[in-house]
Amino acid sequence: MKLVAALTLSTAMLAGPVFAKDITIGLSGPTTGAQAYFGTTWHNGFKLYIDKLNAAGGVNGVTVKIDQEDDQADPRQGTLVAQKYCDNDDVVLGVVNFNSGVAQSTLPIYEDCSLPTMTFGSNPSLTQQGYKFMVRPVANDFAGALLPAEYALQKLHAKSALIVNDKQVFGQGISEIFAKNFTAGGGKVLDTLSVAPTDVDFSAILAQIKTKNPDVIYLGAVMPQLALFAKQMHEQGVKATLMVPDGGYTPDFISQAGAANVEGATVAVQAPPLDATPAIADFATQYKAKYGQDAGPYSIYGYAQAQILEAVLKSTKGLTREDMNDALHNVKADTAIGHLEFDDKGELKVAPSYLYKVENGKFVLIATK
Amino acid sequence: MFGILIQQTFNALTIGAIYALIALGYTMVYGVLRMINFAHGEMFMLGAYGAFLVLTLLIGGIGGTGAFVLAIVFALAVIGVGLVGVAIERLAYKPLRNSNRLAPMLSSLGVSLSLVTGVQIMAGPQPIGFPNFFPDTRLQILGGTVTLVQIGILVAAFVLMAALYLLVNRSRAGIIVRAVSESRSTAQLLGINVNLAISLVFFFGPLLGAAGGILYASYYGIMSPTMGAVVGLKAFTAAILGGIGSIPGAMLGSFILAFVEVAGTAILPIISGGVLGTEYRDVLAFVILILVLLVRPAGILGEPVSEESMVYKREF
Repeated sequence: MKLVAALTLSTAMLAGPVFAKDITIGLSGPTTGAQAYFGTTWHNGFKLYIDKLNAAGGVNGVTVKIDQEDDQADPRQGTLVAQKYCDNDDVVLGVVNFNSGVAQSTLPIYEDCSLPTMTFGSNPSLTQQGYKFMVRPVANDFAGALLPAEYALQKLHAKSALIVNDKQVFGQGISEIFAKNFTAGGGKVLDTLSVAPTDVDFSAILAQIKTKNPDVIYLGAVMPQLALFAKQMHEQGVKATLMVPDGGYTPDFISQAGAANVEGATVAVQAPPLDATPAIADFATQYKAKYGQDAGPYSIYGYAQAQILEAVLKSTKGLTREDMNDALHNVKADTAIGHLEFDDKGELKVAPSYLYKVENGKFVLIATK
Repeated sequence: MFGILIQQTFNALTIGAIYALIALGYTMVYGVLRMINFAHGEMFMLGAYGAFLVLTLLIGGIGGTGAFVLAIVFALAVIGVGLVGVAIERLAYKPLRNSNRLAPMLSSLGVSLSLVTGVQIMAGPQPIGFPNFFPDTRLQILGGTVTLVQIGILVAAFVLMAALYLLVNRSRAGIIVRAVSESRSTAQLLGINVNLAISLVFFFGPLLGAAGGILYASYYGIMSPTMGAVVGLKAFTAAILGGIGSIPGAMLGSFILAFVEVAGTAILPIISGGVLGTEYRDVLAFVILILVLLVRPAGILGEPVSEESMVYKREF
């Protein structure tokens, strides 16, 4: 009996490792907290395609493992996760950080350990700091705040805007870009007010805003503040059109504020509607079948990022971090959201953006760019 | 201009009423036990979650609910949280009653963390929409807009505070609580049940805090496991400002703090020429707190420090 055991053990040891190569991808974003909906659905989109890829035997025999972490939309947590990925030699690429404020803190860490990343933070400054190991497979805030400004001027015939922001990297950045675009187009910015990111009561600010009587209010912040502001704005009887960035593209925005309170508010987001093209509609069906709920605003981007990864694996010379980085910067990927290529800074060469309006408790597409 | 004044006054009164309901709990516990109950902000959070739970269990969903049903939900939730408060005192603070002053405070920090994490695990960490307990009607009064929710908050808060005042000053329960807060040892010698008095405080404090939580969630339409942290800190500040241990002080401090916050939002950008934005509101509030404490260390209505309430270094 002992002999048999010893024999099996030795054969098992002789068999040694299986020669299938696999790589690990670090996947980090907010999966708990107020922005969990965005992070989770984005990650699910990524996992959906990777699972299909692995089921088909991987790319050239390379299968992809995912190390998923929660960065809690918090720079402190994000940097811990970044360090963890850096220290793990199996991780050759990161798909990281939904929030610009988190990305701002983690990118230097990834840069130091030569770990290439696809970053999801949309603040324009991220690609202007000379990082060699990052690309941004999503439109930056220059695009995200251009469309709403144009829409306000041309379609709403707005003359005046009032800016409110939460003093965070994303909120302040995107609202400043909106203000610049709005002024450049001939509009007048009446005032810029700031709130603390923990504030829940905007009644005092709204009372000030009411006297200025702006045509539009641009609110550079994230959930749940967007919903709270919209609700209180309606309660105080402020008549301006509320314009918010992509953080508002969630059912929570409508349910937490109350459908009547967000009627007519616009949300600018980089994500196409789920029935925009046959490829996207097909993705939406698969997503629903796998996760039992509709795809989130950025699920399609997660899916497209996995398709970019596939293209990278097809074209890369080797599986080291440096090789992956070269392939990532030169990638030409055909994805569900179209053909994607990066310029020398790591920005998309062509980045679509979309504008939705809340009508009867639903998001309706009103403009694209 | 007059309309704005009226508007901001309504806003400040609403916030102040919510602060006051929470600040009372801090101040009552301090008055009797000379301890800061750091878990008190979580009573406020439990109130909202409790009401939501009772509502879902009772009605099996949120929808057309009568005022009577809502009153029952409100009562059940606040009484439930009051009992939780009594249980917490028995389990986490009573065993430490005769150790040094730091022990129960640290224990309350632990309770606070446990409650937040517990709710995060059970209900999820993301904010949840909270049904409005009041019809969404707006009234125009003297050029300011006020919602029924705001009026409801004010009425409820003042009714609860008046009830507390009567309880403390006009009832037997109030007499034993006041006796114990004046001197625990003397009260014990006179045959007063000290444990009962302390339990009473730990029942009514969290009850008011929970009421504040329900009103708050109803007003803002949202609740989250961490909602007690920021508001709890503000209410604690208000209690210190008014004079910790003093019940009228807590109410006064809360309204002062709320008016300072609202005034800060309205005036700061104007007087600083746009240099200091509205986000400096809290800085202003705390600067005022520091100034008051420099002049009156015991707070506005705080009792002068007596031999009994002195905190000695050797106790830490």
